[in-house]
Amino acid sequence: MEKSLSESATKNLVAAIVEGDSGQALKHAQELLSSGFGAEDIVVHGIESAMSRLDAKCTLEQFNLLEIMLSGRAVTEVMKVLYPGGMPTTGGRGKVVMATLEGDVHDLGKNILKIVLIANGYAVVDCGKDCPLQKFIETAAQERPDAVAISGLITPVIPQVKKVRDLLAGRGLQSMKILAGGAALKQSSPASLNVDYVAESAFDALHFLQSLGETK
Amino acid sequence: MNSLQRIVATITFGDADRVPVIAQVFAHAATVAGVGVDDYVRDGETIARCQIEALKRYGYDAVFSVMDVNVETEAAGSVLDYRSNQYPIVKRHVFSDSMALETLPDPNSAGRMPEMLKALRILRRELGDEVLVVGCVLGPFTLATQLLGLEKALYLAMDEPGKLESVMDFATDVGIEFGKAQINSGAHLPVVFDPSASPAVVPSQFFREFELPRLGRLFEELSGAGAVAKWLHIAGPVGSILPYYANAGVTIANFDYCVTPPAAMTGLPGICVDGNIKSLSFVESKPAQIATQAANLLDAFRDRKGFILSSGCEIPPESPSENIAAMVNAVRAKR
Repeated sequence: MEKSLSESATKNLVAAIVEGDSGQALKHAQELLSSGFGAEDIVVHGIESAMSRLDAKCTLEQFNLLEIMLSGRAVTEVMKVLYPGGMPTTGGRGKVVMATLEGDVHDLGKNILKIVLIANGYAVVDCGKDCPLQKFIETAAQERPDAVAISGLITPVIPQVKKVRDLLAGRGLQSMKILAGGAALKQSSPASLNVDYVAESAFDALHFLQSLGETK
Repeated sequence: MNSLQRIVATITFGDADRVPVIAQVFAHAATVAGVGVDDYVRDGETIARCQIEALKRYGYDAVFSVMDVNVETEAAGSVLDYRSNQYPIVKRHVFSDSMALETLPDPNSAGRMPEMLKALRILRRELGDEVLVVGCVLGPFTLATQLLGLEKALYLAMDEPGKLESVMDFATDVGIEFGKAQINSGAHLPVVFDPSASPAVVPSQFFREFELPRLGRLFEELSGAGAVAKWLHIAGPVGSILPYYANAGVTIANFDYCVTPPAAMTGLPGICVDGNIKSLSFVESKPAQIATQAANLLDAFRDRKGFILSSGCEIPPESPSENIAAMVNAVRAKR
């Protein structure tokens, strides 16, 4: 079977990202740029391909934060080289507003989801950690994303999560999809949390968002 | 048979009059007593009073002096933010910029460590050897993540593993000193909390190569100081690391809801296990559902012995009392 030029050219970059080797990933990305490939091509055929490999590798049993963070760091470094003026803010696949809500300062999971989504062509508006609920809703009302995503490591944020749907509806956003994840929230169910989907992992969240795109 | 005798018999796979039940009630004890979580975690007398009240209310087999996961890092110099009725959070990690590994925090004077020791002295004085009195130290990698910040600790594991190992050695020494002080103050044992060593955070190879030898040293020192058991608490999907626990000398292993009873039994032959009702169930479920889950666990371990009925992790402070009572009552119903 004939290999496509893109697949062949990005092989080393993909491997370096999957291995979490920032230095090598950066080197290969710079080589591709020097060879005349455009940033968008490198994202589509390099970074997204690496993310697919990582997705397949990160089954529920094998997922661990260290490996995904190292790959995430490699992606971030490569993106800085590809877009020295800053990452594009309008992702072609859709837009997501995300946060960890007030009282929860654990944002690694959210940050990983952010990297996975940006690397897969989504625009992300990050409200940060310890985010007041009103600020989160206000941002969603301004940005009009395809979905809002809430990451939660501790159970006391659950009452806030349950309010999100009504607060969005109060702003005329009743059809906006609500996605939840994180160690505390994933113990629950969409019905209990009053959300549309509870993701087991960042890639599970990505698949849910991709399924929204298919039904548009 | 009293609670302590029941637990000791269970750890050694001997005959007990019933299955022990340990509710992982920490700040929930404050909530039911009408005390703010932030007040609870800063005052040893309050911890002891609330734990004893909760023990009287529920009638389980162990009490805890657990404050939160930031006691050691605060004692070493990290700055915490205390918020109303919440567990404190780290505002600045002590090793975020530079590392001073020469001086260990003194358990008798550093941060809230003396308050935990005070709680243990009162608990042991009041409860004697009737009920298991449990202290708490962090595992080496978990404390390293609390000293450095999780992100920095994980990147160090890749970029400068030698430096991370130095911090983990320091963390092990902190755990040994603090744990010994807890035993000297009245704890029958300190549980070793090690959530960051979960395979959800680091690969099982990391656990085996970096964490396991240090856990072994920690447990050996605590055992030498008089701990009645070596209790390791790692939540999450721990199936892949269970076979290593024996190498660290673990004699009680917590298992969370994502590990099935057969997997726990297979992965931990000859080791007493405690678990594994999902923490959030205590918030979201009805007492009848908790009773059913507890009964299923008791059935699953009926022929094994070496089982303590418990939650998979901390019972959230906001949990309704009826749900905790349902779990405790289950062991009496199955007597």
